[in-house]
Amino acid sequence: MNDQKDDDKIRQLLKQNIRPVNQELESDLWPQMLRRLEERPAAVPWFDWALGAVVVLSIIWVPSTIPMLLYHL
Amino acid sequence: MNTHPYLRAYMAGIVVPTLVLLLILTAFCLVRFVFHVPVPIERVIIFPMALVPSLFGLWNMFYLWLRPRRHLPIGIHGALLPFLLAPCGLALASALGLLTLGSSGIVCFDQQIIPYQYVALAFTVGLIAYYLIWKYLVGFFNQVLGIA
Repeated sequence: MNDQKDDDKIRQLLKQNIRPVNQELESDLWPQMLRRLEERPAAVPWFDWALGAVVVLSIIWVPSTIPMLLYHL
Repeated sequence: MNTHPYLRAYMAGIVVPTLVLLLILTAFCLVRFVFHVPVPIERVIIFPMALVPSLFGLWNMFYLWLRPRRHLPIGIHGALLPFLLAPCGLALASALGLLTLGSSGIVCFDQQIIPYQYVALAFTVGLIAYYLIWKYLVGFFNQVLGIA
Protein backbone atom coordinates (compact mmCIF):
# COMPACT_ATOMS: atom_id res chain seq x y z
CA MET A 1 0.00 0.00 0.00
CA ASN A 2 2.82 2.30 0.97
CA ASP A 3 4.74 1.37 -2.20
CA GLN A 4 1.71 2.21 -4.30
CA LYS A 5 1.49 5.64 -2.67
CA ASP A 6 5.21 6.25 -3.28
CA ASP A 7 4.84 5.25 -6.92
CA ASP A 8 1.91 7.60 -7.39
CA LYS A 9 3.81 10.42 -5.76
CA ILE A 10 6.86 9.82 -7.94
CA ARG A 11 4.65 9.66 -11.03
CA GLN A 12 3.01 12.92 -10.07
CA LEU A 13 6.35 14.63 -9.42
CA LEU A 14 7.72 13.40 -12.75
CA LYS A 15 4.65 14.71 -14.58
CA GLN A 16 5.06 18.09 -12.90
CA ASN A 17 8.74 18.49 -13.60
CA ILE A 18 9.35 16.86 -16.97
CA ARG A 19 7.65 18.28 -20.00
CA PRO A 20 5.92 15.74 -22.22
CA VAL A 21 7.80 14.85 -25.39
CA ASN A 22 6.21 16.83 -28.18
CA GLN A 23 6.41 15.03 -31.49
CA GLU A 24 4.93 17.95 -33.43
CA LEU A 25 6.46 21.38 -33.93
CA GLU A 26 5.07 23.84 -31.41
CA SER A 27 4.75 26.72 -33.85
CA ASP A 28 5.32 27.78 -37.43
CA LEU A 29 9.08 28.10 -37.88
CA TRP A 30 8.91 30.21 -41.05
CA PRO A 31 8.57 33.60 -39.23
CA GLN A 32 11.64 32.70 -37.17
CA MET A 33 13.49 31.85 -40.39
CA LEU A 34 12.48 35.21 -41.91
CA ARG A 35 13.63 37.07 -38.80
CA ARG A 36 16.94 35.25 -38.97
CA LEU A 37 17.35 36.15 -42.65
CA GLU A 38 16.54 39.80 -41.95
CA GLU A 39 19.05 40.10 -39.13
CA ARG A 40 21.66 42.70 -40.00
CA PRO A 41 24.91 40.98 -40.96
CA ALA A 42 28.04 41.94 -39.07
CA ALA A 43 30.37 44.44 -40.78
CA VAL A 44 33.13 42.91 -42.87
CA PRO A 45 36.55 43.73 -41.30
CA TRP A 46 39.16 45.52 -43.41
CA PHE A 47 41.41 42.45 -43.27
CA ASP A 48 38.85 40.37 -45.16
CA TRP A 49 38.41 43.11 -47.77
CA ALA A 50 42.19 43.05 -48.23
CA LEU A 51 42.17 39.25 -48.63
CA GLY A 52 39.37 39.51 -51.18
CA ALA A 53 41.40 42.10 -53.09
CA VAL A 54 44.43 39.77 -53.04
CA VAL A 55 42.29 37.00 -54.57
CA VAL A 56 40.90 39.26 -57.31
CA LEU A 57 44.30 40.80 -58.15
CA SER A 58 45.98 37.38 -58.26
CA ILE A 59 43.33 36.08 -60.64
CA ILE A 60 43.74 39.12 -62.88
CA TRP A 61 47.55 38.89 -62.70
CA VAL A 62 47.68 35.12 -63.41
CA PRO A 63 44.48 34.02 -65.21
CA SER A 64 45.74 30.44 -65.46
CA THR A 65 44.87 30.04 -61.77
CA ILE A 66 41.15 30.32 -62.62
CA PRO A 67 40.68 26.74 -63.92
CA MET A 68 42.61 25.37 -60.94
CA LEU A 69 40.41 27.29 -58.53
CA LEU A 70 37.18 26.33 -60.29
CA TYR A 71 38.28 22.70 -60.40
CA HIS A 72 38.44 22.67 -56.59
CA LEU A 73 35.13 24.43 -55.97
CA MET B 1 12.59 15.72 -31.07
CA ASN B 2 15.73 14.95 -33.08
CA THR B 3 16.59 18.06 -35.08
CA HIS B 4 19.24 16.25 -37.18
CA PRO B 5 22.01 18.87 -36.82
CA TYR B 6 24.52 16.83 -38.82
CA LEU B 7 22.11 16.48 -41.74
CA ARG B 8 21.56 20.24 -41.67
CA ALA B 9 25.32 20.82 -41.49
CA TYR B 10 25.79 18.63 -44.57
CA MET B 11 23.05 20.49 -46.43
CA ALA B 12 24.49 23.89 -45.47
CA GLY B 13 27.94 22.74 -46.60
CA ILE B 14 26.99 21.58 -50.08
CA VAL B 15 25.11 24.74 -51.12
CA VAL B 16 28.10 26.79 -52.29
CA PRO B 17 29.90 24.14 -54.42
CA THR B 18 26.57 23.02 -55.90
CA LEU B 19 25.82 26.56 -57.07
CA VAL B 20 29.37 27.07 -58.36
CA LEU B 21 29.06 23.74 -60.20
CA LEU B 22 26.31 25.22 -62.37
CA LEU B 23 28.68 28.01 -63.39
CA ILE B 24 31.50 25.57 -64.08
CA LEU B 25 29.24 23.27 -66.07
CA THR B 26 27.93 26.19 -68.12
CA ALA B 27 31.47 27.39 -68.83
CA PHE B 28 32.61 23.86 -69.78
CA CYS B 29 29.61 23.34 -72.08
CA LEU B 30 30.24 26.67 -73.80
CA VAL B 31 33.93 25.90 -74.24
CA ARG B 32 33.30 22.35 -75.43
CA PHE B 33 30.16 22.57 -77.55
CA VAL B 34 30.05 26.21 -78.69
CA PHE B 35 33.72 27.02 -79.15
CA HIS B 36 34.66 23.37 -79.96
CA VAL B 37 37.71 23.33 -77.71
CA PRO B 38 38.69 19.67 -77.28
CA VAL B 39 38.24 19.46 -73.50
CA PRO B 40 37.33 15.98 -72.15
CA ILE B 41 34.45 17.43 -70.13
CA GLU B 42 33.19 14.13 -68.78
CA ARG B 43 36.55 13.38 -67.17
CA VAL B 44 37.17 16.94 -65.96
CA ILE B 45 33.78 17.35 -64.32
CA ILE B 46 33.95 14.25 -62.10
CA PHE B 47 35.92 15.91 -59.30
CA PRO B 48 33.95 19.18 -58.99
CA MET B 49 30.64 17.37 -59.49
CA ALA B 50 30.99 14.26 -57.37
CA LEU B 51 33.60 14.87 -54.73
CA VAL B 52 33.85 18.58 -53.91
CA PRO B 53 30.22 19.13 -52.76
CA SER B 54 30.30 15.96 -50.64
CA LEU B 55 33.60 16.96 -49.08
CA PHE B 56 32.21 20.43 -48.30
CA GLY B 57 29.21 18.81 -46.59
CA LEU B 58 31.33 16.34 -44.65
CA TRP B 59 33.79 19.09 -43.67
CA ASN B 60 30.89 21.14 -42.30
CA MET B 61 29.65 18.11 -40.35
CA PHE B 62 33.18 17.76 -39.00
CA TYR B 63 33.11 21.45 -38.01
CA LEU B 64 29.88 20.89 -36.08
CA TRP B 65 31.32 17.81 -34.36
CA LEU B 66 34.57 19.61 -33.55
CA ARG B 67 32.99 22.82 -32.19
CA PRO B 68 32.38 21.77 -28.59
CA ARG B 69 35.72 19.94 -28.45
CA ARG B 70 38.27 22.24 -30.08
CA HIS B 71 36.70 25.36 -31.45
CA LEU B 72 38.27 26.81 -34.59
CA PRO B 73 36.73 29.82 -36.35
CA ILE B 74 34.78 28.58 -39.36
CA GLY B 75 37.00 30.54 -41.79
CA ILE B 76 40.14 28.85 -40.51
CA HIS B 77 38.39 25.48 -40.54
CA GLY B 78 37.42 26.03 -44.18
CA ALA B 79 40.91 27.20 -45.11
CA LEU B 80 42.24 23.81 -44.00
CA LEU B 81 40.06 21.99 -46.55
CA PRO B 82 42.34 22.69 -49.58
CA PHE B 83 45.07 20.68 -47.85
CA LEU B 84 42.77 17.69 -48.32
CA LEU B 85 41.10 18.69 -51.59
CA ALA B 86 44.14 19.73 -53.59
CA PRO B 87 46.03 16.40 -53.30
CA CYS B 88 42.78 14.51 -54.05
CA GLY B 89 42.10 16.68 -57.11
CA LEU B 90 45.68 16.40 -58.30
CA ALA B 91 45.70 12.62 -57.84
CA LEU B 92 42.37 12.16 -59.64
CA ALA B 93 43.32 14.48 -62.51
CA SER B 94 46.62 12.65 -62.84
CA ALA B 95 44.91 9.23 -62.77
CA LEU B 96 42.45 10.34 -65.46
CA GLY B 97 45.28 11.58 -67.65
CA LEU B 98 44.22 15.21 -67.46
CA LEU B 99 47.60 16.38 -66.27
CA THR B 100 51.12 15.16 -65.75
CA LEU B 101 53.86 16.46 -63.51
CA GLY B 102 56.71 17.87 -65.59
CA SER B 103 60.12 19.15 -64.55
CA SER B 104 59.14 22.81 -64.77
CA GLY B 105 55.44 22.63 -64.10
CA ILE B 106 52.14 20.82 -64.43
CA VAL B 107 51.24 19.86 -68.00
CA CYS B 108 47.49 20.09 -68.63
CA PHE B 109 45.90 18.12 -71.50
CA ASP B 110 49.43 17.48 -72.89
CA GLN B 111 49.44 21.09 -74.08
CA GLN B 112 49.47 23.86 -71.51
CA ILE B 113 52.29 24.05 -68.97
CA ILE B 114 51.53 25.76 -65.68
CA PRO B 115 54.80 26.57 -63.84
CA TYR B 116 55.05 25.37 -60.26
CA GLN B 117 55.27 28.93 -58.91
CA TYR B 118 51.84 29.59 -60.46
CA VAL B 119 50.56 26.37 -58.90
CA ALA B 120 51.84 27.57 -55.51
CA LEU B 121 50.19 30.93 -56.12
CA ALA B 122 46.90 29.23 -57.07
CA PHE B 123 47.07 27.14 -53.88
CA THR B 124 47.62 30.25 -51.76
CA VAL B 125 44.79 32.08 -53.52
CA GLY B 126 42.66 28.97 -52.97
CA LEU B 127 43.37 29.04 -49.24
CA ILE B 128 42.31 32.68 -49.04
CA ALA B 129 39.23 32.06 -51.21
CA TYR B 130 38.22 29.10 -49.04
CA TYR B 131 38.73 31.18 -45.89
CA LEU B 132 36.38 33.86 -47.23
CA ILE B 133 33.85 31.39 -48.67
CA TRP B 134 33.60 29.46 -45.43
CA LYS B 135 33.55 32.51 -43.21
CA TYR B 136 30.84 34.35 -45.12
CA LEU B 137 28.89 31.92 -47.29
CA VAL B 138 28.96 28.60 -45.43
CA GLY B 139 28.75 30.55 -42.16
CA PHE B 140 25.64 32.31 -43.47
CA PHE B 141 23.98 29.04 -44.50
CA ASN B 142 24.88 27.51 -41.13
CA GLN B 143 23.20 30.47 -39.46
CA VAL B 144 20.10 30.14 -41.65
CA LEU B 145 19.81 26.45 -40.84
CA GLY B 146 20.29 27.11 -37.14
CA ILE B 147 23.61 25.39 -36.58
CA ALA B 148 25.90 28.42 -36.35
